[in-house]
Amino acid sequence: MNIGKADTQPAWCPGCGNFAILKTLEEAVAEAGIDRRKLVLVSGIGQAAKLPHYTRANVFNGLHGRALPAATGIKLANHELTLVVTSGDGDMYGEGGNHFIHAVRRNIGVKAFVHNNQVYGLTKGQASPTSELGFVTKVQTHGVVSVPFNPLALAIVEDCCFVARSYTGDRDHLRRMMVAALAERGGFALLDILQPCVTFNKVNTFRWYKERARPIDDSHDPFDREKALRLALKWGDEIPVGILYRSRRPSFEANSPALAGKTLVAQLAGR
Amino acid sequence: MDINVRVAGEAGQGVLTTGNLLVGALAGLGLHVLSSQSYMSRIRGGLNWFDVRIADEELFSPRRTADLLVALTPPARDILAEDLTEGGMLLFDGAGGDGAVGIEFSRAAQEAAGSKLMANTVAAGAVFAVLGYDCGRLCGYLATQFKKKGDEVVAANVTCARRGAELAGTHAGRIPAPAPAAAPDYLCSGAEAIGLAAAAAGVKLVTAYPMTPSTPTFTYLAAVADRYGIVVEQAEDEIAAVNMICGAAYAGVPALAATSGGGFALMVEGLSLAGIMELPIVIVLGQRPGPATGLPTRTAQQDLKFALSAGHGEFVRAVFAPGTIQQCYELTRRALQTAHRFQTPVLILTDEFLQDLQKNVPPLDESPRPIDRHILEDPSPDYRRYEVTESGVSPRAIPGGEGFVICDSDVHNDCGNITEDLQTHLTQQDKRMRKLTGLTAEALPPQRYGPDDAGTLLLAWGSSYGPCREAVDALNAHGGSAAMLHFSQVWPINAAGARQLFGRPRRVISVEGNCTGQFASVLREAGLLEECELLPRYDGLPFTGEYIVSGVNG
Repeated sequence: MNIGKADTQPAWCPGCGNFAILKTLEEAVAEAGIDRRKLVLVSGIGQAAKLPHYTRANVFNGLHGRALPAATGIKLANHELTLVVTSGDGDMYGEGGNHFIHAVRRNIGVKAFVHNNQVYGLTKGQASPTSELGFVTKVQTHGVVSVPFNPLALAIVEDCCFVARSYTGDRDHLRRMMVAALAERGGFALLDILQPCVTFNKVNTFRWYKERARPIDDSHDPFDREKALRLALKWGDEIPVGILYRSRRPSFEANSPALAGKTLVAQLAGR
Repeated sequence: MDINVRVAGEAGQGVLTTGNLLVGALAGLGLHVLSSQSYMSRIRGGLNWFDVRIADEELFSPRRTADLLVALTPPARDILAEDLTEGGMLLFDGAGGDGAVGIEFSRAAQEAAGSKLMANTVAAGAVFAVLGYDCGRLCGYLATQFKKKGDEVVAANVTCARRGAELAGTHAGRIPAPAPAAAPDYLCSGAEAIGLAAAAAGVKLVTAYPMTPSTPTFTYLAAVADRYGIVVEQAEDEIAAVNMICGAAYAGVPALAATSGGGFALMVEGLSLAGIMELPIVIVLGQRPGPATGLPTRTAQQDLKFALSAGHGEFVRAVFAPGTIQQCYELTRRALQTAHRFQTPVLILTDEFLQDLQKNVPPLDESPRPIDRHILEDPSPDYRRYEVTESGVSPRAIPGGEGFVICDSDVHNDCGNITEDLQTHLTQQDKRMRKLTGLTAEALPPQRYGPDDAGTLLLAWGSSYGPCREAVDALNAHGGSAAMLHFSQVWPINAAGARQLFGRPRRVISVEGNCTGQFASVLREAGLLEECELLPRYDGLPFTGEYIVSGVNG
């Protein structure tokens, strides 16, 4: 095996939520029956973005914030590959915010698993786009004054194919959400994964998430956009987890005439 | 002989339409045609012009002066009249006088076809008559051009063209014009030649954020996308554009992005990514004057050193700078081949002048001929993407097979996995840099034009090929002794090849569209040059033969 797994030890803190995400991803990939040879894990930069190195798959560990456009290029080149972007809140919603907006609009067939711990880990504890108001750091010394970015609400407004939230406190739930996202055949799938940062976020701890996470009621119709948006706007004492929204919008690939037959790379094969 | 027809007016008045109509119809007569444009960054108003130069032999450069000026507005008439040659003619869309022949194109179109929109066709008819060309041939061209729009549109245009010829016959005289020759009836611009070569070479993903002057290449590729099976995507920004082609290249598909200076600045981190990940990407950089937004619709050769050094860290690249339409085609293909052979980013430097330059050339090969992507078929399960080799080029597999393909923007080991082991870093950095040897061995030598013993050597690169070539001819025709050394690959420099062709000139003059002599500096660094004179142009307009001649003669 060429992964070099033995010498690639995770660079994460003991107790980091990333371990749970990695373990659950392994299970979900197996459960979804995905051929690892056709699996590409794409990430940007950050602690979460190192995850692809710790598993067995094809890997594109690109630039900070640029995982989505790279994944888009890979998917367009070979739409038979399963593209999973696994990166953090800073990478996906901060540095890569513009790409997030447009990847959802484009509805490219990419699964984005965002490790959202509401803080910057690799650069040692600054606020992230999802940090809460008043969150004090060595940079935001008087507390965060910008309102937190709401990725789920934005994705719903943009009619994203699959919008879900889970958290590392319930690995069974997380696995089910990952499997559902991997099974999504329409287009862009967003799974926002709340996770603690044991070193730099003393507010949104494992316990904090555990106490607030509320599975979405089975009666919720994920195709009801207004209700989904209402769920996405809930935050605080109760944080809804589960599939908030689904759309039947055709994917970017389905809308591309050049991809109607063989994949682009197969069109060149043998030449 | 050659003559220059200039159509001038405001943006939105149909200057471009009239110009393109003339270019097509005149090329159809078998004349050698070369067109260039001068326009402002606006959709309406201002002063734009379109030059159509025609001759009975091949043309290489635009001219400053015009023999026939078709002015659609008073400012076009007043400002451009001074560029009229002696014996030249000025047709003005309005009342004549002060040396202008008045022909009301719009009114004539309204009367003849019920629409002012066809004033362009009236003007084209008038130009044909003044030059003594058969209006019937123009009408035939119109019939082919407007066939899809139906018989009525064809008939109206034909009426307008004939009306224009009649009015010119009555009110204007004639200008001696070149006799129709056997020039190829295949028109192409620099922008189109680059796009065509990319499509034919098997580029499957094209990305850009629209930016003058690269946009015509982007729109050309969009127009032929269905024919060649290409995905053309307008990215949210240039950062996305370059990262998308990096992704496509990783997955095995030749991919290209087109941009200009400001957009390229945004792509620089992605360029560095392609350097360390060893991805074969090609970026078309259409230059225009900067800094910053600069002069969006003008031309320059100011981004050479930027292109050579763009990207943090050290990695290898090749940079091509075509000088002719044919080179736009050939070097785009070569850029893609080079990128794939050496698994590294390659840049094509063009500029507004060359992008918009149109001329008739021997037909370019439009058939799909995908390049060799040098892909390792069936990698084994223990495949290592960055295996250390003597040439520095590692066997390149693509995802989907037995061996995982692992790429990282961080320093990585031969498997592609992130590492901070400094010895591994050195090994991989040296491996990547060794590719420079192969790249240099394959670098194109410059082309020499002019006598071997010329006393004056003009150094040129990229789009100034044509103007320099005409300058050499003009200088030598008047007792001078000049030659040109033109570089169409500006990195790496083929120093041995250049040295052979250098000769022993008394004067060496670097002709460059920038104010600092960037290319001369590159040649000095390569040990090819001591001191030289600089003949710069950085007012936003292209070089012409006359401009260079007067620069040489001081």
